[in-house]
Amino acid sequence: MLKVEHLTKVYPGGTVALKDLSFEVEDGEFLVVIGLSGSGKSTLLRCINRLIDPTEGKITMDGADITAAKGAELRHIRRQIGMIFQHFNLVKRSSVMTNVLNGRLGYLNPWLSTMGIFPAEEKKRAQQALARLGIEDKVHSRADELSGGQQQRVGIARTLMQEPKLILADEPVASLDPVLAHSILQYLEQLNKDDKVTVICSLHYLDLIQRYATRVIGLKDGVKVFEGLPSEINRVKFKEIYGEEAQDIRATALE
Amino acid sequence: MAKKHKIFVQPLSNNHMTKTKTAPKWLAILLSAFLPGLGQAFQRRIRTGLYIFLAFATSLAVVFWDRGYTGAESSSWMIIPALIWLWNIFNVAFFPKASSALIPVFLWLILAYGVGAKVTEFNLPALFQNVGRSQTMIREILHPDFVQPLTEKRTGFSEIESPCSSALKAPNHSTGDVTVTILQPCANNGDIITIEGSGFWPNESVTVAWHIPIGPQAMSTTVMSDAQGNVKLDWQVLPIVYSNAPDPSIPQIHRVVLTQEHPSGGIELSSVGGYVLQGISETLGLAFLSTIVGALFAIPFGFLAARNLMTGSPIGTLFYFIIRTILNITRSIEALIMAIIFVIIVGLGPFPGMIALTIHTTAALGKLYSEVIEGIDAGPIEAIRATGANWLQVVRFAVIPQIVPSFTALTIYRWDINVRSSTIIGFVGGGGIGFFLWQWIILQDFRAVGSSFFAIAVVVIIMDFLSAQIRERLV
Repeated sequence: MLKVEHLTKVYPGGTVALKDLSFEVEDGEFLVVIGLSGSGKSTLLRCINRLIDPTEGKITMDGADITAAKGAELRHIRRQIGMIFQHFNLVKRSSVMTNVLNGRLGYLNPWLSTMGIFPAEEKKRAQQALARLGIEDKVHSRADELSGGQQQRVGIARTLMQEPKLILADEPVASLDPVLAHSILQYLEQLNKDDKVTVICSLHYLDLIQRYATRVIGLKDGVKVFEGLPSEINRVKFKEIYGEEAQDIRATALE
Repeated sequence: MAKKHKIFVQPLSNNHMTKTKTAPKWLAILLSAFLPGLGQAFQRRIRTGLYIFLAFATSLAVVFWDRGYTGAESSSWMIIPALIWLWNIFNVAFFPKASSALIPVFLWLILAYGVGAKVTEFNLPALFQNVGRSQTMIREILHPDFVQPLTEKRTGFSEIESPCSSALKAPNHSTGDVTVTILQPCANNGDIITIEGSGFWPNESVTVAWHIPIGPQAMSTTVMSDAQGNVKLDWQVLPIVYSNAPDPSIPQIHRVVLTQEHPSGGIELSSVGGYVLQGISETLGLAFLSTIVGALFAIPFGFLAARNLMTGSPIGTLFYFIIRTILNITRSIEALIMAIIFVIIVGLGPFPGMIALTIHTTAALGKLYSEVIEGIDAGPIEAIRATGANWLQVVRFAVIPQIVPSFTALTIYRWDINVRSSTIIGFVGGGGIGFFLWQWIILQDFRAVGSSFFAIAVVVIIMDFLSAQIRERLV
């Protein structure tokens, strides 16, 4: 479904974030990307929806060349790819409703939506998305009045509005406590299993990786150092990816 | 790293030890006597030495400057650098390790206060001796003139010939219920005439005025009406009634006018009050318009002066620096100075004040807006772009919600500032209450000055309160 070929990203300062990275993702996979901060995980996810333009290489989704897309074509590809962020990236002063509706912008008439006019069925869709995530009572709250876990659920609801084929999740649980981390990842798993949405997610905790991932890619300094099943990651592999000083960290240390 | 550090430190501390041990005291004293602070520096007290030197040098410079300023041959302030010099030698001789420079700094402060008092012609007694001078002025200022009681008027007059030519009696004239009669048909200089009036409000004062044919009233007096509202008065004709006549011997018809003013309950705006109201509304309008127009102009400048938007490319960076510089220079020119220039160009009135304030507002708000834009969170922008939204939608849903509350709050704050500035701008002819205030100060109409002070204070307090309330709700 998604094919990444010889992807390289060099930032203007000369930092090489990704080096000749190639892999494939099949439909319905829950792919987890692991690696230290600065290993290129975020850059990789942002190259897939072209928030960052890769320096070299090619990314195709269902045969469509993402790296060559421009303008309206790029926006049509983007609206099929949902994205979830570590810091939720909600518009804090806007209401939950507006934040969720924002997920639909790629489908709507740009002029009408800019004037703040949303069709009634889109509002209903937003209500349903919030209901699915159990926060329908927060519709009229301002986004910054919500707790971290609720904000991330609004983030997922916003992504649901895109009816995505693929969800990119950039450390979605890194700002949340372990219980919330499981809750959020369970929503992603549900989307993955029930709605057949492919998920590419970056994570740090070994137990979360083993619990949710169907396949794992390990990055180190922008180079792929591991690709395989979650069960294949043992302490030795983990130290290879995270370096000698790494401890086996688990989200749920006290069980 | 650690090794290198050791090698570097070791010889220096050795050096330090040997020097302090062998430094001869007499040499340090000699050096300090030659140049204050040098001895201390020689004793490895560089900082203390520097302070002493600076205190000595600057106090000496101040004393010389003061001598030149006053033209005196010598200055008694010379004692301060001399004391610093003495203390410096004393310090080297007896406290070779002390690091305090408190005493020279203290001496220096005494000098600074002393010279400062002289330059500002400091004269505290004058403040108390001459308080009486301001009494009338302050009393008038504290007795502002906004309104006056609403009055009704009853008036009537009778004509009289003076000096006498014939026995013809001039007719009576009445207004409403008032009738005025003069018993004598005519009067010569020094005669006593009897005036009778009826139909006035009872037991209130009536003004009696002698109007000559051309020119102002010549004589006037007051009389109380009785319980029936009648008035009777004997009045002597004085030579002043002929002062404007070309020939006092030619008979002319004069008028005796009786007027009574009676408070009718209720109040009306006095003429000063009317001008104050006009000035205040002009000031508010001027401030409002210049804020709105300035804010509109400031928006593009704000974006062009935002570092995070502009410094992506070399051309953008160039623009950023040019716009920043223009904004900074414009902002540093006081609106009052601009108003002086625009008064010359477009003439007196609110318009030049409005232009000056608009320009200053544009520069000030442009800078503040750019800081808001620099402070926005890139996360939501990224998130909205990722949904497939176009540029317009990204601006509408990710940028505007982040900047609008701050922009509005800053604009209201600026309006508040502009109301205050526009009162001052009136002083140079920029219209508004300041223009009236300036004229009343020149005319020494201190009741009117007081009225404008109170009006300005009330408006500023209200504006301050409102803008604080609105801003609190927005941010």
